[in-house]
Amino acid sequence: MKLLRTGQRQIQFELAPSEKALLFHLLQLYPLVPSAHHRLSKGRKMPDREENQRLLEESLQARRQENRQQVDAMLNETGRFVERPAGYQVSFTRGEIEWLLQVLNDVRVGSWIALGSTAEHPEMEPEMSKQTMSHVMTMDIAAFFEMGFLSAVSGEFQPGHE
Amino acid sequence: MPTTATPEVLPGIEQDEQTDSRTDLEPGYLVICWDDPVNLMDYVTHVFQTVFGWHRKKAEKHMLEVHKNGKSVLVREGLEKAEFYVHQLQKYTLHATLERDSK
Repeated sequence: MKLLRTGQRQIQFELAPSEKALLFHLLQLYPLVPSAHHRLSKGRKMPDREENQRLLEESLQARRQENRQQVDAMLNETGRFVERPAGYQVSFTRGEIEWLLQVLNDVRVGSWIALGSTAEHPEMEPEMSKQTMSHVMTMDIAAFFEMGFLSAVSGEFQPGHE
Repeated sequence: MPTTATPEVLPGIEQDEQTDSRTDLEPGYLVICWDDPVNLMDYVTHVFQTVFGWHRKKAEKHMLEVHKNGKSVLVREGLEKAEFYVHQLQKYTLHATLERDSK
């Protein structure tokens, strides 16, 4: 993943063919985090606790649907990824990078939950199998793209740097 | 409609007392971000900047507090706004909750 150009509105990257395939694979996995994972509060003294929890789940569900539609549109958009001799050139607006970060982090956190490592049991070591290895690799690949996008939007990732 | 101006500070009532009474009338809610071993430090910093509009140093300070102390109180707000912030943070899959401020 190489940053080519940073503009006020758009940021252009170059992806190797294997990186493009991995990014598409991650996007197709979305969403992975179960709705019940999110709790509004740990306390029991909250007013209208159940109602507010329901509103949170509805709000997250609406965002997931919106993100899923954007993912589908991106995956099916012809001409978004332009093939070049070195790989694929692709431009994202800063707004698109924002929802891509949400999507990628959902896939990362969802894989972590699938490994059994909830916030209450962070010390749990998953038993290694083909299935758990796949989750671990998904987490690492999602982190790779997240860091690429974060470095680009923060200005730390200079054009031409891989 | 009467047009008599209301003094901002009533005679005999000190400003501090007025400030304190706000806490009783409008309970505060703390928006807390909890540590987990999955969210990347740079990602957490970025989300704080995006959701609260903080500059990078302030966002990093809170991110490090989460990392080192297990949690960080991000803001204290009324219920509606605190809920809004928790919704925003959870859309980024951060482990955030709101808790009633007992102080």
